[in-house]
Amino acid sequence: MSEETIIVSDSPDAEINAAIQKKIGWGFWLAISWVILITLLAILAPYLHLKDPRGYFIDIDGNGRPPYGPSFEHWFGTDKDARDIFARTLHGARISLIVGFSAISFGFLVGGTLGIIAGYFRGWLDKIISFTFIVLLSFPSLVLAIMLTALLNRSLFTISMILGILSIAPVGRLARASTLQFSDREFVLAARQIGASDSRIILRELLPNVVIPMSALALLGMAVAIVAEGGLAFLGLSVSQGITWGSLIQIGSDSATTLENAPWIAFFPILLLFLTVLSLNFAGDRLRSHLDVKESSL
Amino acid sequence: MKFWMQRVAMAILLLLSVSALTFGAMNVLGDPLFNILGPLAGDVNNPKSAALIEEVKAKYDLDKPLPVRYVKWLGDFATGDMGVQFSTDGQPPVSGLIKERIPRTITLLIMAQLLAVMISIPWAAITAARAGKRSDKISTMNSFFLLAMPNFALAILLKYIFSLKLGWFPLTYKAIDPYFERLRQIFLAAVTIALPAAAVYQRLLRTDLITTLQQDFILMARAKGLSRSRVIFRHAIRPSMFSFITVVGLNTGGLIGGSIVVETVFRIPGIGSSLVESVLREDFPVVLAIVILIALAFVIINVLVDILYSIIDPRVRR
Amino acid sequence: MQITKTRRYRAAIAVGLTFAFLAASCGSDSEGTEAPTTEAPTSEAPTTEAPGTPVAGGTLRYGVEAETDGLNPTSSAFAVSAYVMGNAVFDTLTALAADGSAVPNLAASLTPSEDLKDWTLVLRPGIKFHDGTDLNSAAVKANFDAAYAAPLVGLAVRPFYPTENAVEIVDDLTLIYHLLDANLQFPHALRSQLGMVASPTWLAAALEDPTLNQAPVGTGPFKYESRTQDSVTRFVRNEDWWGGEVWLDAIEIIPVVDPATRLELLQNGELDAMHTTETESLAALRADESIFNIIDDNGEESFLMINSANAPFDDIRVRKAITLATPRLEYNTLFGNGEARLADQRFTPESPYYDETIKQEADDPEAALALVAEYCADGLLTADGSPTCTDGKVNMEWQYTGPSVVGQRITDLFNASWAAAGFNVTNDELAQDDHIQQAALGQYNVIGWRQFGAYQPSNDNVWLLCRTVGGISLNWPRYCDESRDTLLLAAQVAPTIEEEVSIQKQISQNLHDAYTYIFLQHTVWANSFTSAVNGTCDVKTPEGVALACAINGTTAFTSTWMS
Repeated sequence: MSEETIIVSDSPDAEINAAIQKKIGWGFWLAISWVILITLLAILAPYLHLKDPRGYFIDIDGNGRPPYGPSFEHWFGTDKDARDIFARTLHGARISLIVGFSAISFGFLVGGTLGIIAGYFRGWLDKIISFTFIVLLSFPSLVLAIMLTALLNRSLFTISMILGILSIAPVGRLARASTLQFSDREFVLAARQIGASDSRIILRELLPNVVIPMSALALLGMAVAIVAEGGLAFLGLSVSQGITWGSLIQIGSDSATTLENAPWIAFFPILLLFLTVLSLNFAGDRLRSHLDVKESSL
Repeated sequence: MKFWMQRVAMAILLLLSVSALTFGAMNVLGDPLFNILGPLAGDVNNPKSAALIEEVKAKYDLDKPLPVRYVKWLGDFATGDMGVQFSTDGQPPVSGLIKERIPRTITLLIMAQLLAVMISIPWAAITAARAGKRSDKISTMNSFFLLAMPNFALAILLKYIFSLKLGWFPLTYKAIDPYFERLRQIFLAAVTIALPAAAVYQRLLRTDLITTLQQDFILMARAKGLSRSRVIFRHAIRPSMFSFITVVGLNTGGLIGGSIVVETVFRIPGIGSSLVESVLREDFPVVLAIVILIALAFVIINVLVDILYSIIDPRVRR
Repeated sequence: MQITKTRRYRAAIAVGLTFAFLAASCGSDSEGTEAPTTEAPTSEAPTTEAPGTPVAGGTLRYGVEAETDGLNPTSSAFAVSAYVMGNAVFDTLTALAADGSAVPNLAASLTPSEDLKDWTLVLRPGIKFHDGTDLNSAAVKANFDAAYAAPLVGLAVRPFYPTENAVEIVDDLTLIYHLLDANLQFPHALRSQLGMVASPTWLAAALEDPTLNQAPVGTGPFKYESRTQDSVTRFVRNEDWWGGEVWLDAIEIIPVVDPATRLELLQNGELDAMHTTETESLAALRADESIFNIIDDNGEESFLMINSANAPFDDIRVRKAITLATPRLEYNTLFGNGEARLADQRFTPESPYYDETIKQEADDPEAALALVAEYCADGLLTADGSPTCTDGKVNMEWQYTGPSVVGQRITDLFNASWAAAGFNVTNDELAQDDHIQQAALGQYNVIGWRQFGAYQPSNDNVWLLCRTVGGISLNWPRYCDESRDTLLLAAQVAPTIEEEVSIQKQISQNLHDAYTYIFLQHTVWANSFTSAVNGTCDVKTPEGVALACAINGTTAFTSTWMS
């Protein structure tokens, strides 16, 4: 490989890095900090000396019948079974985040690969792959997710996979589009001319240029997956026996009395879910405008 | 002409794949026999039940291979016969259920779209006129907030504030109430769907308007002394309208997905809540019918939008 | 018997309870009634009703807890919502009198033979169904035959009648029921689903076109008018009702699944009547002076059921251990809200059949641990060869109906206690239909249920006799005890109440000692009406016998009027 191609292929990265460093704004860093904070809290939840998320803190003599409102003892209050909502919300972040992260990782792995293959080789392979994407995109994703969760078991793995499958098509479409765009660029043509193998071109030339701009999509996609998991859990269809934000919200809003008299049961998980999704969306959006990925291609 | 044909052929192929996949998944992973017979489906050692099982299998073609059943189902479906509801006790046929429920979902979606359009146009106009100013930035944050709020959470918030605390809207939907009363009963649900949609439309329209506002004919109009708002509503919005309508049209498909959760929260017996219920009951014919109808709506909207695009912008026809 | 496929679907349960109930589906009624005595602490005497003369007119909007699937009494499993609708459109052959006896209703008389095995029923003359068909003995036989032949409903009918000629027509208005066992309490069997008489013309048509099951035709005080699933079912006055004048113009039955919403609709006047079992609503209902309540907990019981047919629960030590490990008090705190009473047996303390010496064991994890240790030391295997214990803990499966918030809450609560008392619990969430199937086929270890509570306890025999153990069992725990059968059959022919009480006490003791049911709570049913609704409890037979006005959440409509 000639020195020239290396420089050419490296240059978009350099631009990207410069752009990020130039002015991504404090909002981006604030959003990222929240995501990191909530992730850390979720990981460390079992070691933080929180109350037992499955424990019952019934105190009929002191407080009467549960649910108990927010207090020094229970920061976010308790649900109807006197279980600590603060501890449950932090523990709930675990499943929500794991599902969000695995789903989008799976989407990138499969969708990204398929998209690059389709965009690079074109021809009938492209036709089949693109058609698959269109089929996947012709359901509202929640319809597909509900259908699959109802038919399969509901382990953490299946839920992540189902949401992962749903993210294949959007990721793949974007990967294909930018592969198409890049495979006509000089550095790819040059690599081809000097006889580099397909796999080498894909790995060395296309992958960095296609995937890095898509990191913004990763953040946005994670937000989408977290919301989707929340929606499933809200319908009672997410990980069985699992504590997740969606299921906590469901518990708090299932009955009008509960919602009216003890709004904190639903509202604290909603707040955390909202802040996390907001942060991911915001950071993703900032990153996208800095990486200059066309809005329409998302 | 050839482009259109291709597009339509593609759409048909798409619907066939979608229906085949759904039909296969439902029949392979599920157990239609149980839906029809209930506990008796498992009572195979009892000769009386076993005979009944055979009878039902024959009646519903469950003894035939899957592809044969698929073709038969497809033929029936195309002619409007969506089959019978399985997990039922003499409920109307699936087409009856769909006919009863679909107007509610369509009303809900139309109401939501109208609200979204009515909110987004002035919102976009105002923010475009003040692009870069503080109020524009606040509005951008607002749309971020709206888009970060999952629809079930938004539904709960609206229900809490407007139904439970303020009591402005009723808590239940009643099919026999007069039409306008029912419109009031679905209003909050429509707002839940409309708000995030409005935020999407506003973003696009605002960007569009800002570009338009920089063009010569607008600058001319401004130079003639027309006020800013007049310029926006008289001149600038018109060229943006086509792409705006396209986006609104395309987004309708996405709103169907939103209606699933929202109908469930507000307990509106529409197509979305029916999908959830029938999936949970494994009522395959209903699930199939709804999934195919949703996919059909999706595909038709997409084809229409594509064709519209190709009329306006012939470059699309490659 | 083996179900080949593991089933993993969930149902939207219409009912906000985990306790699946095949409520009184069958000929036997598992329904209870108001207390024979009025001093039950949770019973309120109907004294606050506005006096006055009935006036015709008005539409009664009635909020029920769930939609029902079908309205054909011979083939649909009737839960409480179906009974509410059935009360409007059908009449029963006998009815429950306020004094607790079963009195003739559509029937003019019901007379036993000497040996109490053959019962002669004479119908009232001149009654017509809504479609003009005559009510005669052929019509009643057609109803019985349809129920007997029905796959599910028949399960509770067939064990008690001969296969041939169970009902014999004597003349146009007279027929004879032939029973397998002598039964003094037979009239009670004809006041629930088995006693509802539908037009034979309609029954025949419904066989051809099942959608007709949604449009019932009976002899009742109201005629079916229209039905929109999950929204409203409407009945209008039958101007020619045989029993006299009916006051209401129409009844609209509206399913409102969320109890809090139902309560709110009643309070702001969008509903005129409702029923509920939700304890949280009860306090609000009691506090509201504009609402007239009939509150009663002498009907159904909430309990856990243990399948005694499979390992490990075929061993009484394990059944006793899970009983002792169950957090009954905590359950009642969280799900009783101070309104529901703990249940020790099928009867409340006000019932004449109550035995104060029988106490439900529970809340003793130490004793449970000891029993588990003893059992696990034996190293037994289950039927498929897997060990019954792992690491000294008994492996078991808890099945519940879902997805539902209440179901998940109950599951969490039981899991925590059982795990601490020596059980490895696997949770299996099932759709309501699947749940009932697995229970019927005996494919479960432990489940929650709501049942029993017949006013006449012999009507609960269908759940307890050996003969209802089978491929599909209505004796869900599949527990057969010949000596208990003897007691059950003796109770239904006991000539005096004293003798009957003494036998029922022995049955209660037998149930306790078998450790197949863990009684949790007496289900509290409230029927509530706004002040505009009157006369609900003035219901009488044509002979003027006062009838019970609320039975397990259902009420009659014949005497109801609105001001």
